[in-house]
Amino acid sequence: MTGIAGVGAYVPRLYLPAKAYREAWGKGGAAGVEQVAVADADEDTLTMGTEAGRRALSAAGVDADTVSHLAFATTTPPADEEEAVVRLASLLGVPSNATMRQYGGGTRAGAVALAAARDAAGPTLVVVADNPAGAPESDEAAGAGAGAAAVVLTDDGPLTVDAVGEYSDPSPGTRFRRRGSTETESIGITQYERDAYTSTVGGAVDALDADVSDVDAAALTAPDGKLPYRAARALGVSTKTIAAGTAVSQTGDTGTAGPFLGLASALDDGAESVLLVGYGGGAGATALTLSASSDVPVDAVFDGDVELSYAEALRRRGTITGEEPEGGGAYVSVPTWAQTIPQRHRLVAGRCRDCGALSFPPEGACFECGSLDGYDETRLPGTGTVEAATVIGQGGAPPEFVEQQQRSGSFPVAVVALDGPDGDAGDAGNDSVSIPAQVAHTPAETPDIGDRVEAVPRRIYEQEGVVRYGFKVVPTEARR
Amino acid sequence: MRDAYIVGAGQSSYGAFPDESYRSLFATAFEEALDSAGGISSGDVDEAVIGSLGVGGRQLGLSGPAVTEHVGLHGVPSSRIENACAASGYAVRQAVQAVKSGMADVALAGGYEVMTDMSGDVAKYWLGVSGETEWERLTGTTFSGVYAQMASAYIDEYDASPDHFSKVAVKNHANGAKNPKAHLGFECSLEDAQNAPVVADPLNLYHCCPTSDGAATVIVASEDVASTCDEAVRVAGVGAASERVGLFQRDSYTSIRSSEQAASQAYEMAGLGPDDIDFAEVHDCFAIAELLAYEDLGFCERGEAPQLLDEGVTDLDGDFPVNPSGGLKSKGHPIGATGAGQVVEAFKQLTGHADDRQISDANVGLTHNVGGSGGAAVVHVLEGGVL
Repeated sequence: MTGIAGVGAYVPRLYLPAKAYREAWGKGGAAGVEQVAVADADEDTLTMGTEAGRRALSAAGVDADTVSHLAFATTTPPADEEEAVVRLASLLGVPSNATMRQYGGGTRAGAVALAAARDAAGPTLVVVADNPAGAPESDEAAGAGAGAAAVVLTDDGPLTVDAVGEYSDPSPGTRFRRRGSTETESIGITQYERDAYTSTVGGAVDALDADVSDVDAAALTAPDGKLPYRAARALGVSTKTIAAGTAVSQTGDTGTAGPFLGLASALDDGAESVLLVGYGGGAGATALTLSASSDVPVDAVFDGDVELSYAEALRRRGTITGEEPEGGGAYVSVPTWAQTIPQRHRLVAGRCRDCGALSFPPEGACFECGSLDGYDETRLPGTGTVEAATVIGQGGAPPEFVEQQQRSGSFPVAVVALDGPDGDAGDAGNDSVSIPAQVAHTPAETPDIGDRVEAVPRRIYEQEGVVRYGFKVVPTEARR
Repeated sequence: MRDAYIVGAGQSSYGAFPDESYRSLFATAFEEALDSAGGISSGDVDEAVIGSLGVGGRQLGLSGPAVTEHVGLHGVPSSRIENACAASGYAVRQAVQAVKSGMADVALAGGYEVMTDMSGDVAKYWLGVSGETEWERLTGTTFSGVYAQMASAYIDEYDASPDHFSKVAVKNHANGAKNPKAHLGFECSLEDAQNAPVVADPLNLYHCCPTSDGAATVIVASEDVASTCDEAVRVAGVGAASERVGLFQRDSYTSIRSSEQAASQAYEMAGLGPDDIDFAEVHDCFAIAELLAYEDLGFCERGEAPQLLDEGVTDLDGDFPVNPSGGLKSKGHPIGATGAGQVVEAFKQLTGHADDRQISDANVGLTHNVGGSGGAAVVHVLEGGVL
């Protein structure tokens, strides 16, 4: 029987305290939420999902290239229509012949994906991520957070899914998003919505046909910090148990990722049995009971460390910023960009077949010996050292980065000597290859020459409606 | 191969001219070149090579004939050469080749650019086109950003500070203030230059050249033709070299290899060395570039450029004046015109027509034109008083 062998979680470093929302609007904000995580302008569910997925694989000790099934659950994919899971696989290094499934349509999606993945053969990775938004004045916007989590299932993973229960009942208007809209909303009839939540969540747990009163933690979809607790009685668990599996007060509403962030947090605190319930507006719920036969490795980052003002949060989210200006001049077509995806997603470098020097991107004549014999592919670990650096000031960015700059402000750019496949060779080694990279860090200070940095997956820019993903670097000392 | 001579040179004013077009600016420059040549007429021109990056689009195709036909060089073979900011430096080199080879007795080299007739947003699309596009530009690095990265590496490696960049600005503005055709022909104090707003750390606004409209033309001729002209300056040496387009692809961030190679070729052809040069027009698109030029062109050892500035050696009244025209910083930088414009200044200096900024006893001058952040460079060594 398969079981979870590793868990990863990623919450962006930027956060907005609930009091900042209250001060801005002169009203309460989301119940039971102290702060909400805010995705940076160059983050989305794919980049956050990649961060969580890499952590889960690392926790489980599983190589991405051995994964045979990848599931991606999100209600907020980068595009309404497109196989986001395919680019997630590329960013993670999951092989093209793995089975890939994408789940969405409601915040229950993550729990559904995990229930389905139980039966998959071979190493399986389930990634859940969400980055919901609401109309600025709405409760949905007040509570909107951002985050991702991932679990790796293997034949001998210690955390098994013991039972699955489902329940649904039509309750239109409880949590929905109109076609083409980015804003989640609800009809706003409090008791109706509470009843839909508690009855479907309770129904799914009933359908488990299992006693859940003794679980160490209950991790439920949490649109705010109160609703999960209101379901305690219907579930037959204590509010303490709910608290042990709930992360919403520190992350805000993370949609379908919510119960998985709760799971990661509970396991991190030593929980051995967990009830996980995904709820989706409309309304339906899927409940799973999990129990661990030994410690489950968790690699997670939950806490933000950069506080934003309300205006800064609106900028980062793109609520009050413009778009790329009309242009001319330099242009990189999508097919040209696509040719460099192995480099941009996975740092695939090359070794000259003649002299062995590293090359990135591996094309053209070798810079070391001039040979045109070609390159043998090799993957770089993503660590490196700053060789030259500056900051592109607010208003100075190339047009492709104008929107990002409006949202995030000044950004440093550096030439970085990326370490070779064997890592940092120190002063003695020269097995490195230089690349230009944007430094994704707040505040935007010019890095010092010699600073160590690490590559992270990010949105680079969007043109013609197509998001171009690649890597940026963060200072190693700021890496969470 | 036979010798080639510059027998005439002229330029439009550099600046922002909403009432001019690329054709009218070119016509102004061409007219001045013909006037200075004395004895040469349009009908004598055998070949034309025109440098332009094409900022703004306007006439990207056939941009050579578009301007040469406009000035009445009807039927003369004309082509555009594109090498970013080194476009017309390369055009001059091409014209010299045409004359030296014997295929032309009179060749026109020139360049133009119009850069101020578009919004800031559109201008930024075009300013980035000479950086390495797929990786450098698409990390968000601007043109000033690349030179700022070089500056960061230079400061890290040598005993230099942003004050040295400010000194370049003060010097070049002092010279440009004496040049009626300069775009920014005003003096600036060291304090002004030090306290300007940051563009890309460690470079501030005064460490960056402006974007300008303008045109420049140079008439190159054989010895037979030159001997009939009022003035002639011998093209003693020519050198040109390429380098990898992206900074990250290079072995050094504190020198520009193409400049070094172009200079050593030009010196070798001229049979001269840096010590034989009386003045230079160098490519100071950003102040750090002028420091790198001092070292790449052999005016001093590596790391000693700041000292030259501290000691005023390269001031107009110093031992070795650099950028008497005001340089790109003050005279301006209409990309495609810049390289030919440098030769215009050298021609004026070597023929004694540089007015208020005339360097006394100027016999040998050097021009140094760089494309992008160093992907192309071209150097000319010019000798006056030979015919």
